[in-house]
Amino acid sequence: MDDKTYLSIAYLGMIFGLAIWTWTVVSRSRNMEQRLEAMEQSLKVKSTDADSVAAIDSSEQS
Amino acid sequence: MRVKANEAILASGFLGLMITLFLAFNWAPSVNINAFESPESQRIFYWHVPAAWAAFIAFAVLFVGSALWFFKRSSIGWKMHIAGSEAGLACGLMAVWSGCVWGAAEWGTPWDWEDWRLNTFGLLTLLALFLVLGRQSQPDGVETRDTFSTFGLYGFVLVPLTYVATRIWVIRHPGPVIAGEEGSSISSEMGLVLLIGAISFTTLIIGHILTSMEITKFEQRLERLQKELDGE
Repeated sequence: MDDKTYLSIAYLGMIFGLAIWTWTVVSRSRNMEQRLEAMEQSLKVKSTDADSVAAIDSSEQS
Repeated sequence: MRVKANEAILASGFLGLMITLFLAFNWAPSVNINAFESPESQRIFYWHVPAAWAAFIAFAVLFVGSALWFFKRSSIGWKMHIAGSEAGLACGLMAVWSGCVWGAAEWGTPWDWEDWRLNTFGLLTLLALFLVLGRQSQPDGVETRDTFSTFGLYGFVLVPLTYVATRIWVIRHPGPVIAGEEGSSISSEMGLVLLIGAISFTTLIIGHILTSMEITKFEQRLERLQKELDGE
């Protein structure tokens, strides 16, 4: 196989992989945010960013 | 549709990578055809080096995050740990894959089990794989976080070891082209394309780390909501 063809295939594979990874991460983030907002609105629950594991551990230590 | 800051950062990083590729193929000078078995394959260097650089940034984020969780019980620290391991795995795999592609063309073998640089970097990528898969298979809790943070802390030892590997034990992997020995420098055009690649990969990895931290935040919000629904 010609050097440049070989290189192009390798590059295309990496770009494709990177694009899929980026798309997956962004769409997962958007999906989760929309679903969370919808759930919180329908349940009339106030959103909070507190980390329950960190909160449990700090309350156990104190 | 609203575009968030992290998505804009990701998009600009991706655009930068495309520019890097265009310049690598069309503008960067070719290397000495007598010095290489496969001179054209050398152009993968403009992807391989920035990918490895971005992996080091991700591993540094993993280290800082692990330390923040382990010593300070910081919630942001744990988010950094997750984001750093995921980004480290992705960039590590890209550096390893591009290295194997070049090795196969230039050395006739994709991997050398006796080369320090290859093996320490491979171990780092495996560590990131272990952290990503391990975290997904375990319930989230203080003990789980402590265990994975310890791996994140001690695993970082491999970063300086990988960095100095080609300065101390040159076996198969080429020595450093920047800040290396005399005569190891690259031309200004090559340096410029490499710089654009490094900036693009850095931008992309920052975008990924921010997005990953946001996903962890959403997961924690979801967990809290579930607990509230369960009446805990």
